[in-house]
Amino acid sequence: MYLGYLIDKRLIGKDIHLAMGCASCHKGNDVAATREEAHKGLVKRPSDNIALCARCHGKIADKYSKSLHYTTYGQRHGIMKRLGAEELKRFDDKVFEQSCRSCHASCGSCHVKAPPVGGIGIGLIKGHKFIRKDEGKTCAFCHGGRVYTEYTGEYGGRADVHYQKGKMCIDCHSKEEMHGDGTRYLSKNDVKTRPACKNCHKTGRETKLTARLSHRNHEGKVSCYGCHSGGEYRNCRDCHVESHSQAQPGFALGLNPRDGKTLTTLRLIPTARDTFKAVGIKMERYDAVPNYWDTPAHNIRKRTPRTRSCDACHVEGKGFLTKEQLIKNGSKMNDKLIVKPKPLNR
Amino acid sequence: MKKLRIFALISIVFLFLPMAAAARDVAPLVTTDWLQQNLTNPRLVVLDVRKVEEYKAGHIPGAVNMFYGSWAVKRGDLLNELPANDDLFDTIGSAGIDGNSIVVIVGKNDSIGDRFDMTRVAWTLKYAGIDNVAILDGGQNKWVKDGKAVATEAVRVKAKAYRGKINRGLFVTKDYVTSRLGKAVLLDVRAPAYFAGKEKLPFVPKTGRIKGAVNLPVGQLYTPEGLYKDKAALAALATAAVGADKTKEIIAYCDTGKTCTSWAFVLADLLGYQDVKVYDGSTMEWFKDPNAPSEP
Repeated sequence: MYLGYLIDKRLIGKDIHLAMGCASCHKGNDVAATREEAHKGLVKRPSDNIALCARCHGKIADKYSKSLHYTTYGQRHGIMKRLGAEELKRFDDKVFEQSCRSCHASCGSCHVKAPPVGGIGIGLIKGHKFIRKDEGKTCAFCHGGRVYTEYTGEYGGRADVHYQKGKMCIDCHSKEEMHGDGTRYLSKNDVKTRPACKNCHKTGRETKLTARLSHRNHEGKVSCYGCHSGGEYRNCRDCHVESHSQAQPGFALGLNPRDGKTLTTLRLIPTARDTFKAVGIKMERYDAVPNYWDTPAHNIRKRTPRTRSCDACHVEGKGFLTKEQLIKNGSKMNDKLIVKPKPLNR
Repeated sequence: MKKLRIFALISIVFLFLPMAAAARDVAPLVTTDWLQQNLTNPRLVVLDVRKVEEYKAGHIPGAVNMFYGSWAVKRGDLLNELPANDDLFDTIGSAGIDGNSIVVIVGKNDSIGDRFDMTRVAWTLKYAGIDNVAILDGGQNKWVKDGKAVATEAVRVKAKAYRGKINRGLFVTKDYVTSRLGKAVLLDVRAPAYFAGKEKLPFVPKTGRIKGAVNLPVGQLYTPEGLYKDKAALAALATAAVGADKTKEIIAYCDTGKTCTSWAFVLADLLGYQDVKVYDGSTMEWFKDPNAPSEP
C-alpha cells in the first residue's frame, strides 16, 4: 500500500484544514455511496484556484497572486527583450500561457504536496499535513536544476557555507519574499524584499585587517559573489532544443550586464537562437541582450582562491570570461561582458 | 652531513607515523544505550553528519549538525579530499569541538554506503588532532529503531577557536604510496569483483588494483542488521588479510578515499594496528597515471 496518497488519520482534528472535510476543498460528493459518485466534480489541485485559499488567507492570497512564484513573469521578462512586438504577442499566446505558466506554484505546491517537475513528484509532503515549510521537498524540486544542488553541494562542488551552518532557503529568502509584497514585479531583480549579503554581513568591522582592506578596496567594483563563490556552478548549455537540455559546471567572472561596471559571477543562460523555432518565433532582437547574466551563485565560501591570493585575479586572471570561452552563435552582446583584471601596483 | 641526514630521516618517520596509539577516553564504537547514558557529559559532542534537511526532521537531543560535505570536498576532479587546514579548523570549532571534546559521530544507515560518511569524518577529525572520536554503531537509524528520544529543534552551538596539530601521516599521497610499494601492506577494501579487475565505477579510469594489494572488502565489516561485527570476528578477518603484526605499515585505499576509512578506523582504533594510513586519491587518482603499477 502506498501511504503517500492517504491522509494520516491522526492528523484529522489536529489540523483545521482537514477538520473542514475533504469536500471543502476537493469538491466531489462526500455523502455518495459509490466511488464514482463521490468523485464526480472532484478537484485534484484545489489551490490552483487561489480564491479557495483566499477564503481564509485573504491578505496572503492576494499578495501571492501577484508574486513571481505565481505569475512566473520572470520567465517572460527574461525572453521578451529578444522579441519584436508581434513576436511577443505570439510568445505570450503559444509559449508563455501554454508552457511557462504551467510552472507556477500554487499554495499547495509549497504547503501540501511537493511540486512535480517533469511529471515526477514525491506526492504529499507529510501525509496531507499543511506544513509551514519543508525546503528539501518543495524549493528543492523547482529550483533543483541549479540553485538547490549548488547550495547543498550535491552538484559536485563545495556546499554553500550557509547550508553548512544549517541555514535553509527561508532563512535568507523571507516569507515576505516568497509570498510577494503585493507588487506585480516583472523580474526577481526588482523585488525589494530579496536578500542581500550586507543585510547580515556589514563591512568595516572585520577582525582581520586583510579582510577589511579587501572589502574596502573592492567595494562597488566587485560583487560579493565575485570573490566568495566557492567554485564551479551549474551553467545551462542549451534550451530544451530538440530532445533535452544540458547543464555543465562552469565559473565565469565578467561585467554585470545590468550595470555594465561591476565584476561578478556570470551564469550562462543561452536561450539558443532556435529555441522557439517550432512556434514560428525567430527572436528578431536576439542580440539585444547577452547570454551570460549576473548570478547569485549559491556556493558561498569564506575562503576561495580569490580571497586567499590577490594574484588569482590580478596576475593569473583565473576564472575571467574570455572570448574563446563564449558560446558559439551566441549574442553579440556577450563580448561586452569580457573584462581583463587590472594589474596590481606593488 | 651524515648527522643531518639521520635527523631528516627520523623527522620524516615521525611526520608520517600516525597517532594510532593516542590515549582514548571513549571506545571507538559506541552503542545507542551508551550514548543515551552519556548525553549529559559536558565533554561530549554528538556530531550529526547527515544533511541539514535530515537533521532538522529529527536528531538525537543535543546533537550538532555539520553535514558530510563540510568534511570532505571535491578538489579538481578528485572526490572526498581534505579541506584546507584553516577551513577544517573552522568547521571543527564551529561545531563546538575542541581538543578536550569526546566526539560521537552520527550518520545515517539506510545503505552500506551511508556508513562510510561516519568513518571518513572520524578519520578527518583524527587528522586534525581530535583523539577522542567514536562512531555510533548503527547511526541515527539504530537510535530511532531503539525508540530513543528525538529532537527537531536545531542546536545552536557556541563556536570555539580550534587550532589543532595536524597528523599528516593519516592521509598519504600517490608519491608516498609509490615509494612504499612492496614494503607496506596495500589494503584494497573494495568488493572482490573490483579488486579482481572485473568491474569499476564510471569515474575510475580503468579496472584493476594497485600492484601487490590484498583484499578485505568493506561488506565483511557488518552484520546483516548493519551493525559492526564483534571485535573477535573483525580481528579474525583483519589477521587473515593483513597479518597479525600490529606494527606493520598498512595503506588502505578504495575508489575515492572514503570507503577505505571504514577498515582503516577499525584496524587502527578498534584492533590496535599502529601504523594505518589512507591513500586519499585511491584508484580515482592512481589509474589516471597509465604507468602507475597495477594488476591484473
